[in-house]
Amino acid sequence: MSMELIVALSMGAALFGTGVYGALSQTNLVMIMMGIELILAAALVNLVAFWRYLHPDAMEAQMFLLIVMTVMAVEMAVGFGVAIARFRSRGSVEMEEAQELKG
Amino acid sequence: MSLQVFFLLVFGGAAVWFGIVVFLTHSMVRSALALLFSQTAIGAMFLVMQAEFLGVLQIMMMATEMSIMAIFMVMFMMDPGGLGEMDMKHQRKTSLAAGLVAFFGALAVAVFADWGPVATDIPDAGEQVRLLGFELLGRSMLIFESAGLTILTAMIAATAVAVQARERKPKP
Repeated sequence: MSMELIVALSMGAALFGTGVYGALSQTNLVMIMMGIELILAAALVNLVAFWRYLHPDAMEAQMFLLIVMTVMAVEMAVGFGVAIARFRSRGSVEMEEAQELKG
Repeated sequence: MSLQVFFLLVFGGAAVWFGIVVFLTHSMVRSALALLFSQTAIGAMFLVMQAEFLGVLQIMMMATEMSIMAIFMVMFMMDPGGLGEMDMKHQRKTSLAAGLVAFFGALAVAVFADWGPVATDIPDAGEQVRLLGFELLGRSMLIFESAGLTILTAMIAATAVAVQARERKPKP
């Protein structure tokens, strides 16, 4: 078993855990988005590790990585759009003050 | 310990540490900068894993993205400098437990799963870009085009949501 693969996946796991903590613990919309960015970054690390150490000839992995980067960009764009709309209407992006969004 | 493992530990450790700093500091600017350093360290990990094109792409893309994020954070936060040490966390114990479960769960899979034989030979940087180009403009073209279209749709949707609605003048 490759030590390099395990180290890379372990770092991905640590980034994932940090991102989950951040996304759940923060009250500010922008900070929640930062947690989600870390979760997606962990997915990127794992994808590159799988490509490099298991299937270096399969370029689908790199293509998939570009798709995840696209998701990161889309998440930022839509998230900031929602943040601006929220800030204009309520003057704050604190999620503690967004109780009306509860179903 | 091979040189690759050493550098993976260094840059991976830096990425995780700066990721933690994002949620430790009270200053929003520092949070954005910490996330920028974390993403840059991840780009360096890609370079260590010999994915040169993706590593450079990650560093360039995240440098831009995090700079924009820093501007938004300064705009939106009540205390962007963190001088008032406002507490912006809730459900701390649940979040910490969820984070730890996620970490140890993923770590257990990484350590105990049978990943099979490890590849030793990989295409060089130029060959990787050539193969990726053929992949993007060949078999995966539809997916690639869909990603572009998704970004365009998201840009239009985000602008439509963010633009202030004009009040219509009442008809005389």
